[in-house]
Amino acid sequence: MTTAPPRPPSPPEGAGRGTPRATPLPPVRDGHRLRYAVVGLVLVGSLVFLVAKGLGTALNYYLPADQAVAQQATLGSKTFNLEGVVAPGSIHPTARGVDFVVTSGSTRLPVANTGSPPELFQADIPVIAVGHFSGSTFISNQILVKHSSNYIAQHPKRVTAPNGTKQ
Amino acid sequence: MIPSRNVHAPPAQSPRARWAVGIIGITAVAATALTVWLGLWVTPPDQSQGDLVRLVYIHPGVAWVALYLAFALAAVSSLLFLWTRTRSMFWDRLAAASVEVGVVFNVCTLISGSIWGKPTWGVWWAWDARLTSTAVLLVLFLGYLALRRVPAEPDVRAKRSAFVALFAAVDIPIVHFSVLWWRTLHQGATVLNPNLSPTIHGSMAWTLLLGFVAVTLVFVWMLLVRYRIGVLEDYLGTGELDVALRERQAEGAVTDEEEAA
Repeated sequence: MTTAPPRPPSPPEGAGRGTPRATPLPPVRDGHRLRYAVVGLVLVGSLVFLVAKGLGTALNYYLPADQAVAQQATLGSKTFNLEGVVAPGSIHPTARGVDFVVTSGSTRLPVANTGSPPELFQADIPVIAVGHFSGSTFISNQILVKHSSNYIAQHPKRVTAPNGTKQ
Repeated sequence: MIPSRNVHAPPAQSPRARWAVGIIGITAVAATALTVWLGLWVTPPDQSQGDLVRLVYIHPGVAWVALYLAFALAAVSSLLFLWTRTRSMFWDRLAAASVEVGVVFNVCTLISGSIWGKPTWGVWWAWDARLTSTAVLLVLFLGYLALRRVPAEPDVRAKRSAFVALFAAVDIPIVHFSVLWWRTLHQGATVLNPNLSPTIHGSMAWTLLLGFVAVTLVFVWMLLVRYRIGVLEDYLGTGELDVALRERQAEGAVTDEEEAA
């Protein structure tokens, strides 16, 4: 092997801009081109999917119970996400899941859920029920608990927490 | 023989810079360890979430770094690159390093959020505006990284990437305000809420703050190291090309000599 002449000093940091190369870059090989196309398609595809999802469901993730009741005629038996606060004393476990009432403003709407609710499900918290109207009842098969952005330490000595629940 | 000026050596990092990176790294590890200790053992359980609240010391900090710090830094660097008066490869490298580290933090945000979401909300994922716009941000910046892999002159690559970074950065305020603009499953901001009055108290608040500092330090350390790797990569890239060119030239020279003989 011939001894390579010493490499010229690399350009100082920040001087790379516009430094012309002695030769043009090697052409992109077909295999590489296919790879770029696949990566590009996957990225554009996922972006389109996410934006479609976002515009489809994300902008209004749920409908508050009072608005849902007002729009009941147009909603029919369509499946949607219903939101409301679980009314205290309304939770009744059933053979297929749990029955409870959600409130939103002055509206009270009974919900019949199939399946067990999440761990944090309790009275006085906002929840989202996924389901549809059936007469004056909302039939759901999934409950999501909407927790707040407030963090308050538990007080073991306090009998009643500020939100009225027993500790 | 050691030449007086070693032209083969990559651009050196000053001892002061090495020292600073080391100190930041050690501080980051110490702050993270302290956050873990305070978060898991010292702070009380939350009134409604119980022990699940302990994820609040990690998830928002990671999200802050990924969604705001890293990508906003990338956007500002890209802007400074595009502005001719401040144009320098420094900004391009900084943007690239910031996006790469930011993507890692973005993935961590989605994973830690998912782990928190399952026991609290009851689902791993929900197509609400906050989660969806965060996923969009990840895909946009993955696109940025993919674009940087397409061969091009450094200047052309830097310009293209800068435009993509600025386009992607439009999603940053959308992610932040999504919980205010639309009805989301994700809760609103605890600290950076519209009233700027944090709804977290006592040791929980201090640990949350420390968590932000710890994750930010980890980000800064990773950013500095990644930037340095970028400098070395650029050096190696140009070096390899020079070697290849010289080999070809040498081949040509040999053939000429043979023909002459």
